[in-house]
Amino acid sequence: MAAMAVQAPRSSKTESYVDNKRKDDIRMANIKSARSVADAVRTSLGPKGMDKMISTASGEVIITNDGATILNKMEVLQPAAKMLVELSKSQDVVAGDGTTTVVVIAGALLKQCQTLLHSGIHPTVISDSLHKASMKAVDVLTAMAVPVELSDRESLVKSASTSLNSKVVSQYSSLLAPLAVDSVLSVVDPAKPDLVDLRDVKIVKKLGGTVDDTELVKGLVFDKKVSHSAGGPSRVENAKIAVIQFQISPPKTDIEQSIVVSDYTQMDRILKEERNYILSMIKKIKAAGCNVLLIQKSILRDAVTDLSLHYLAKAKILVIKDVERDDIEFITKTLNCLPIANIEHFRAEKLGYADMVEEASLGDGKIVKITGIKDMGRTTTVLVRGSNQLVLDEAERSLHDALCVVRCLVNKKFLIAGGGAPEIELSRQLGAWSKVLQGMESYCVRSFAEALEVVPYTLAENAGLNPITIVTELRNRHAQGEINAGINVRKGQITNILEENVVQPLLVSTSAITLATECVRMILKIDDIVTVR
Amino acid sequence: MDKILQSTGRGHSVTVTNDGATILKSLHIDNPAAKVLIDISKVQDDEVGDGTTSVVVLAGELLREAEKLVATKIHPMTIISGYRMAADCARNALLQRVVDNKKDAEKFRSDLMKIAMTTLSSKILSQDKEHFATLAVDAVMRLKGSTNLESIQIIKKAGGSLKDSFLDEGFILDKKIGLGQPKRIENANILVANTAMDTDKVKIYGARVRVDSMAKVAQIEVAEKEKMREKVQKIIGHGINCFVNRQLIYNFPEELFADAGILAIEHADFDGIERLALVTGGEIASTFDNPESVKLGHCKLIEEIMIGEDKLIHFSGVEMGQACTIVLRGASFHVLDEAERSLHDALCVLSQTVNDSRVLLGGGWPEMVMAKAVDELARKTPGKKSHAIDAFSRALLAIPTTIADNAGLDSAELVAQLRAEHHKENSNAGIDVITGSVGDMSVLGISEAFKVKQGVLLSATEAAEMILRVDEIITCAPRRREDRM
Repeated sequence: MAAMAVQAPRSSKTESYVDNKRKDDIRMANIKSARSVADAVRTSLGPKGMDKMISTASGEVIITNDGATILNKMEVLQPAAKMLVELSKSQDVVAGDGTTTVVVIAGALLKQCQTLLHSGIHPTVISDSLHKASMKAVDVLTAMAVPVELSDRESLVKSASTSLNSKVVSQYSSLLAPLAVDSVLSVVDPAKPDLVDLRDVKIVKKLGGTVDDTELVKGLVFDKKVSHSAGGPSRVENAKIAVIQFQISPPKTDIEQSIVVSDYTQMDRILKEERNYILSMIKKIKAAGCNVLLIQKSILRDAVTDLSLHYLAKAKILVIKDVERDDIEFITKTLNCLPIANIEHFRAEKLGYADMVEEASLGDGKIVKITGIKDMGRTTTVLVRGSNQLVLDEAERSLHDALCVVRCLVNKKFLIAGGGAPEIELSRQLGAWSKVLQGMESYCVRSFAEALEVVPYTLAENAGLNPITIVTELRNRHAQGEINAGINVRKGQITNILEENVVQPLLVSTSAITLATECVRMILKIDDIVTVR
Repeated sequence: MDKILQSTGRGHSVTVTNDGATILKSLHIDNPAAKVLIDISKVQDDEVGDGTTSVVVLAGELLREAEKLVATKIHPMTIISGYRMAADCARNALLQRVVDNKKDAEKFRSDLMKIAMTTLSSKILSQDKEHFATLAVDAVMRLKGSTNLESIQIIKKAGGSLKDSFLDEGFILDKKIGLGQPKRIENANILVANTAMDTDKVKIYGARVRVDSMAKVAQIEVAEKEKMREKVQKIIGHGINCFVNRQLIYNFPEELFADAGILAIEHADFDGIERLALVTGGEIASTFDNPESVKLGHCKLIEEIMIGEDKLIHFSGVEMGQACTIVLRGASFHVLDEAERSLHDALCVLSQTVNDSRVLLGGGWPEMVMAKAVDELARKTPGKKSHAIDAFSRALLAIPTTIADNAGLDSAELVAQLRAEHHKENSNAGIDVITGSVGDMSVLGISEAFKVKQGVLLSATEAAEMILRVDEIITCAPRRREDRM
């Protein structure tokens, strides 16, 4: 009755110069820490997922649901856990959404790997099988996908709503989702239908109002006041806009200079000359017919002085100053004009034209809106409002996620059902496939399939449903052929998720699986941590 | 297996790597003998690029065996001369079995592919090694025999997965095109420069201009602008349509260039500039007074492309046909960094092999061949030296043992089987880690470059010798500071 626990001999080492136990310890420690990071964000998954409040050392407070943001702000010291943070960032770069999902999947995969390692399977074998399983998973997902056309606005709106559903601003998704879709569609370049540069959509935040007041502006919005100090106009119709990069101020050379005067008549002369100098500049500007000026911030000297503002106001030119150098590209693209770097180059063809430039009072501040731009470049601006700073920031992040989702659809025009349906289907198919494989591979692929069930499990858990009942019910339904059955958290039961309009882009799911697998494989291959200078 | 290198310095950066040289370079080591080992790894990296872990493993084994010999009261000098004889014999044994396929282009290329795949199989790129081996071989074949890896540029962009990496036959610069400039130029003449285009400052500190009226200041300002304009005119006068500057190009000159229809690129880093100059056949200019003396670069097409989310500038049809760019995509920065290191290793090995095209089989085969030859030598040698030669042969067996251990196989059993196989003449047996048994290396396509193995053998032996010869460590007196009177 010697019921000795059979220790599967890991590998018979003759004389090993590396301590076996240490390798194990390190690997287990890595996996444990990575899993704890994954567990931290698990509760944010899904429409009933909770948000996290992050308080930074500087006293800043952020409330967010977005996995990448949470992980970014967490101060993670353990290097393996840092790799999970990087993972979330990469998912953000590639797909924009699914940043929480990818970390949760990686955590579940690591848990399965722990079991596999305990039963004596070599990490390289596990790593290879995981890779094979992830390739097959991508194939299965692509087979499940529904193609979608960019002209089908309905489906695009549906997937944007699904992405917004898990965020704080979910009640406004009926407003924000079509907004996101419209803005991305308007910047898609028909010459390059597969590429969208999200920098063409500018998000401007303004405190005040509620998220309901968010609007899409077909033009430009500046979070700045018009320069009022000299009493210039604050509203111009039929505007001719110039973007200038030089300074309307007394001349200043790059070498240090000083003006030496020896008597008071000279002083008078200096003042007059300064005035004439500025006046001549402004005359030239006026002669070109310009009536709105956008002045770039300059580090070399004052962009405008009071005197120049005074003259500009007299010439009835609306002035917006302190425009950032980085914004210039966006502005010139929108206005379809070129920036002017020198007064000599001030010509009429470098101006942009717009129907209306006006200053509006919004909340506790003012903004400047430019609308009706002729020959507008392919850009849009979204003006986001919110009742407090935290809501505003979270609304911006959620909107960014929704924009990324639509971008994914532009890149890869396929949709799959949400609500945990693809994961369970994958799990079922991979489980069936594993039965025809041989050796350790079969065992590992089966663990991969089991790990994928964590997504519907977490969704149900977060919704307060009994996860085991739900997941087994789901499996049952899928086995009976309903591949689109998913968890409906609002009703608390399993329904056909496609009909409920819960869909997500294919790219989000495939990249989540491939990235999570790559990260897990890297963590598995590590057997030592060395501290270096 | 990989190691995490966690830096305690600023930034707490984390590196994940498998490359021996990288790990060793970053360790805190105080013992001077250990520093010798780290040095040989670095040298192996610089000379050949691969085999950095093998060299340290072999040197360590040689020293371990030597320790046992010293315990049996054999004088270190005897051990050293024994090791030297053994190393010579081993090298000759290898030279006899080496394969050289330089004449046959097809076979040579397949040799290169096999070597590349073997090098990559121990790294993170092992899953996609076919893809990357093809990439590396293509890149090296374009070099046409030079070992100058400068013309192969590696760009890393996060996103996508390792499979999405590709080889591009032109040169890619990681910069955007300025505003209002043509996004596409054909038959470009490129001027590469390193000059300040923001303001022309007088480099005398504290230089000041004193004038007595505002108008004069205005004049000076106009004069400065004129100066900049002239400079731009001179540049344009070279007859170029693309201007690449290492430093900033501020708004005014940028606009002048745009008006003249010239593509202006600013802030290209030093590395990029040097490579660009090399690749397009131009010279880096700093002054523009003699247009005839400046050599311009040429290329057929310049255009802006998008990779992932970023825009980059692509120069294709460059003069120096050897140039190419490998764009790496991957999940995260750790993956990308390690992929770059592994690819760099593979490129080094391949470029060395193009010069010295002798190829050996891999998988522990060369070690077994050497061990067999050295064994026979030991039997023939009279005297205590033969103990040392014997020890050398045992040390050589450490490499196949380690390979088997790391694969989780029964190393004692496999090495014994291998030895029996090698007893037969002309055997090609080595360790096949995938099936976990002894296999035929030529059938499996596992090859290594002769230069790598030779480097490993000779460096390890020399390092072991050097450490054996040492019998005392003397600490230097600290440098005395001279008294300043």
